[in-house]
Amino acid sequence: MAFSAFLNSRREDCKALVEELSKTYAYAAVLGADVRSSLIGADRTMSDIGEGSLSECGFVVKLHNGRSFFEYSLDDISGDKQALAQKITQALSVSAAVSESCISVPVPSDEPLVQSFERPCDFENYTDEYLLDLAKSTVSSILDSSECMVNAIVRILPFTVSKLFVSKNRMLDQFYSWANIICMGVYHNGEKTVMPREGTYSNLMSEAIAALPARIPVLAEKAKKLASAKPIVPGVYDVITDPSISGLIAHEAFGHGVEMDQFVKDRALAKEYVGKYVASPICNMHDGAAAALSTASYFFDDDGVLAQDTQIIRDGILVSGISDLVSATELGTAPTGNGRRQSYKRKAYSRMTNTFFSPGKDKLEDMIKSIDHGYMLFETNNGMEDPKNWQIQCTAEYGIEIVNGQLTDNYVSPVVMSGSVPDLLKSISMISDDFKVIGSGSCGKGYKEWVRVSDGGPALKVRVKLA
Amino acid sequence: MTKRIISLLKADAGVSDYRINILKRESYELFFVHRDLETVRATDTTDIKVTVFVTVGDKLGDATFSVYSSYTDGDISAEIEKAKAKAALAANLAYPLPANEEGLWHSPSNFTDHTPQDLAAMISKAVFSADSYENGSINALEIFVYTDRVTVINSRGINKTELRHSAMVEAIPTWNGENESVELYECSDFTEFSAEKVSANIDAKMQQVRDRLLAKKPEAPISCPVVLPAQELSGLFSDLAYNMNYAAIYKHTNAFKSGDSVQKDLTGDPLTLTMKGQMAQSTGSAAFDGEGFTTRDAVVIEKGVAANGFGSVRYAHYLGKEPTGNLACLRAECGTLSDEELKSAPYFRCASMSGIQVDVYNDYIGGEVRLAYYFDGEKEIPVTGISISGKLSAALSSMRLSSSETTHGRYSGPAYASFEGIEIV
Repeated sequence: MAFSAFLNSRREDCKALVEELSKTYAYAAVLGADVRSSLIGADRTMSDIGEGSLSECGFVVKLHNGRSFFEYSLDDISGDKQALAQKITQALSVSAAVSESCISVPVPSDEPLVQSFERPCDFENYTDEYLLDLAKSTVSSILDSSECMVNAIVRILPFTVSKLFVSKNRMLDQFYSWANIICMGVYHNGEKTVMPREGTYSNLMSEAIAALPARIPVLAEKAKKLASAKPIVPGVYDVITDPSISGLIAHEAFGHGVEMDQFVKDRALAKEYVGKYVASPICNMHDGAAAALSTASYFFDDDGVLAQDTQIIRDGILVSGISDLVSATELGTAPTGNGRRQSYKRKAYSRMTNTFFSPGKDKLEDMIKSIDHGYMLFETNNGMEDPKNWQIQCTAEYGIEIVNGQLTDNYVSPVVMSGSVPDLLKSISMISDDFKVIGSGSCGKGYKEWVRVSDGGPALKVRVKLA
Repeated sequence: MTKRIISLLKADAGVSDYRINILKRESYELFFVHRDLETVRATDTTDIKVTVFVTVGDKLGDATFSVYSSYTDGDISAEIEKAKAKAALAANLAYPLPANEEGLWHSPSNFTDHTPQDLAAMISKAVFSADSYENGSINALEIFVYTDRVTVINSRGINKTELRHSAMVEAIPTWNGENESVELYECSDFTEFSAEKVSANIDAKMQQVRDRLLAKKPEAPISCPVVLPAQELSGLFSDLAYNMNYAAIYKHTNAFKSGDSVQKDLTGDPLTLTMKGQMAQSTGSAAFDGEGFTTRDAVVIEKGVAANGFGSVRYAHYLGKEPTGNLACLRAECGTLSDEELKSAPYFRCASMSGIQVDVYNDYIGGEVRLAYYFDGEKEIPVTGISISGKLSAALSSMRLSSSETTHGRYSGPAYASFEGIEIV
């Protein structure tokens, strides 16, 4: 598998359209996207092979007229470029009622660069038949794990991404892949139904498959435990977070607040805290498509800016936000390679990629031993940002009670963490020396604009309100 | 393009049946930073998805692929070949495809009175007209105006098209104090434009965000009924309705079934919930679903008891039930709680939440509350920094539904509901 033949066939069209639009606009760029995704799935009675939800193929044109930005999304750019440029300009006309309100910001820079990027992909080694058989056999293994398992749902979700970026001075292309295998059990013990999940992921299908067998007994055991889980007694507790929940905190509690398009809109309290302590001095946090190899690892973003590893928090001090081309242009900073779109049909925003806390020096067992009464929280369920007011809501699938420095057999589910972001981050008192990035996330901005993300880190010891 | 695809599908003897789903969308979008127009966007795109059905003995396999505008006949034929092979591998219980219905629907909307450019400008003017407070502002505004043409064609004589107009507004009302600035998130969608409604909606949010600045975390514990607004009721009732979806029932992911009481030991108002295909002024309204089946309403919970299922032709057939089509709109019947009765005793009225958290399986309801109003029996004060948490079953049993009605997105029903037994922490 390799870079899209279709996009290759449109390189000259992209250059010609940029040239044509450059007669009218101070900046013109075209992003072509050809994303192929599949879904191979099975459950107790059904099987499914088809297209995944990430598939897209089309173009988005980005323009700056010397004052403000314009974008136009379309399916193809072949044909008469003069006519297409006129059509685009006409479609982007502004009603006289708002034309006076157009912002005035500098024209983005367009540093010369021509480069191709490619990451190895082994998807072609796996036929649909093989993957469907794998899904079916995994379903059987899950069903066989317990008489209470009334259904099992397995989904294999590979996708490949080809993107082509063309501006007056840049010509970039990239090809990469990612695969997720998601397993869910439907466990009914006569009183209660629970649906535990486990998953594997990698840029290589071989690695995602190899990791799968070990997840089945984990899922089966978790099902039994969750079926007996009780509600938590609301209160403030000492808590250990697993890498998934650490990542959820990094992402929801803090990451959204350093997306710099929120700085431009005065929507982020973090803008006032750059250079100040926002977290415990033992805390370090990163984001970047080049910061880790995971589901959000690309070579250049949807603005044609190369991927980076951005340190956001250094020793407890907020040192940098993350930006797309537009927000960086408005703020007069260098873009960090975080301009991302849900698809070519949607706007680019400042978005997180792979977001995580750096490892610390503590041993997880010492962290657990340090707690008289509290909880260890596991697995992201969902979260919601509040970058202006730094309130958090992060939901874990389950927690295990810690009593006298030991994990018990008492499960609670679900568990909602809430409170103030600075209080939470400044309460970090221990950080484990291990590290994991979870490559199975999706993230919206507000309630829309979904993109694939990863997050993670080590285990953190924090003090937080649970309900 | 559609004729080419149909011709190629018909010419292939290995294709038992087919379906073509087409969404042609034109959009016009404005993105404001404060009151400055930062970005103007327009889109003109067409999604074409072809589903190939293949008979395998007494089973039916299907596989779907996209057709892109650049595809040649050779490309489409190659995709059909691949889809046939996939469909043959993924053969499931056969079911009858919807058949022999044609039609053109045009969802009611006043959007056609204006160009998208003018309509977007009018919406922005309506939003900013509510931005009239000395210490308040709209820090960000996004406006999306959509014109959709949705078509479903299949090999059994389905050929349906619906023209839909909709708009979405995402606004960030903000209030600036001496030492602090706070915001709320407002997102609404509509199919009929009313400048007065848009302005009134934003103005109400401006007043709420002003209250968020004034709001304090309560010093003493609060214990009283919790009142949830329509937005959160929509989420709660959607989660309940999911359990009556035929696909959920077939896959055993439902927590209750027809005949089960959803409100055991009822002390409040009985809940009657209807899933609807078409609902006036709702952006979820659809004359037919993705299979081309004409949508029919289904009462999924009646007087507190799980009643009828709803869902697609496929899963209805698997369960031996009548299909309703996939339904996106939700109607709850109003109850007996009047504004006067609500205000006769203490309450904790949630105005803005991060999002209601409902876990039917674990009998949980809760969430973080960004702004609420606490009425202590004498006066109402804004409060913040609070979470709610409780047993879903107890909350539903005590639920009092308002007698006043509202619509919110895909929801129509009580404007609010009051719940006992939810902890305020």
